[in-house]
Amino acid sequence: MSKMEEAKIYVGNIDESARKARELLLGKMKLGRLVDWATAFSLWPVHLTTSCCSTEFAATWSPRFDAEQYGALPWVGSRQTNMIIIEGTVTTKMACALRITWEQMPPPKFVIAMGACSLDGGIFYNSYNIVKPWQVVPVDVYLPGCPPRPETVARAIVTLQRKIREKSIAGKWVEEGWRPDMKYVKPKEDVCSWWRG
Amino acid sequence: MSGEQETVDLEGLVSKALEGINYSISREKGYVEVSVPLESLREAALRLKNAGFDHVKSLTIVDYIKKGEFKAMYIVSSYLSEELSGGLIALSTTVKRDKAKLPSLSDVWISLLFQEREVYEMFGIEFEGHPDLRLLLLAPHIAELKPLRKEFIVKEEPIIRKPK
Ligand code: SF4
Repeated sequence: MSKMEEAKIYVGNIDESARKARELLLGKMKLGRLVDWATAFSLWPVHLTTSCCSTEFAATWSPRFDAEQYGALPWVGSRQTNMIIIEGTVTTKMACALRITWEQMPPPKFVIAMGACSLDGGIFYNSYNIVKPWQVVPVDVYLPGCPPRPETVARAIVTLQRKIREKSIAGKWVEEGWRPDMKYVKPKEDVCSWWRG
Repeated sequence: MSGEQETVDLEGLVSKALEGINYSISREKGYVEVSVPLESLREAALRLKNAGFDHVKSLTIVDYIKKGEFKAMYIVSSYLSEELSGGLIALSTTVKRDKAKLPSLSDVWISLLFQEREVYEMFGIEFEGHPDLRLLLLAPHIAELKPLRKEFIVKEEPIIRKPK
């Protein structure tokens, strides 16, 4: 009976009930740790194919390398995902699409920059049409190679999982409502200005 | 079809098709180049189309910055006629760099619709009479640079820095 009394049901104003439920949960246990653990094993990348690295991205989830064993599964829409693997070159137009996709994803969200092109431009380093992804979205893990092998992609996912758990990124994000190190990684450029006119 | 032996006599075919037009013809490796003046470009295109060359494989611009002119090359070939499909004809014309305007041939060869848009953004050459001349691949502030013109210099860095 006493247990029944403890479990309260909040009705009425949804914001108010959500706040009360959050306070109750956060007061009782380390929710952050749970969130970190859960997020680390449900990293769902959106399939944002920008260039030729995407073939290796596809091979990573093929039966031979099977990255699904790490709990990561490519999903279709940006609203159902929490990770972007930038698959190669980002052009001026794709930078805008990348930013919009990133903004549509629900937090906590993470970015892996894959391939030499998304590190510093790769073979197109001096092209007129190249944007480096760190100017557009905050990047968590950089992944060199042209293209990186599927093992490397799997390694990047494992690295990101470790980073999430050790630095408690996801947990803090949920508790504080925003990513704590965001002010260092937030890009300042408005990459869609040409499109908004 | 082997590239070395052509079963059709392209020169003969061109001279029959372009009768009365002032043109010069030269045999290059792999194709036959037919240069016409800018005024008779459209007429030549129509006649070549009637002779069976039904599509443009590529529209190429060569930038002769010292001479101050662009050379436009329309590489045409045929899908429908089997004996023509082995040959390539490069219909070429020159246009001054400072008044870079070409007549749009997209109503003659419909495959030029997109290629003319690409040339428009990369070289800033306008095509008069094109039904939908918008940018294709580039964002507006990049297209303003006209990146494939010779005066647009891509900055280069050596891969290995020389010791001073
Ligand atoms: S890093 Fe290499 S494989 Fe990847 S997008 Fe760039 S050129 Fe293509």
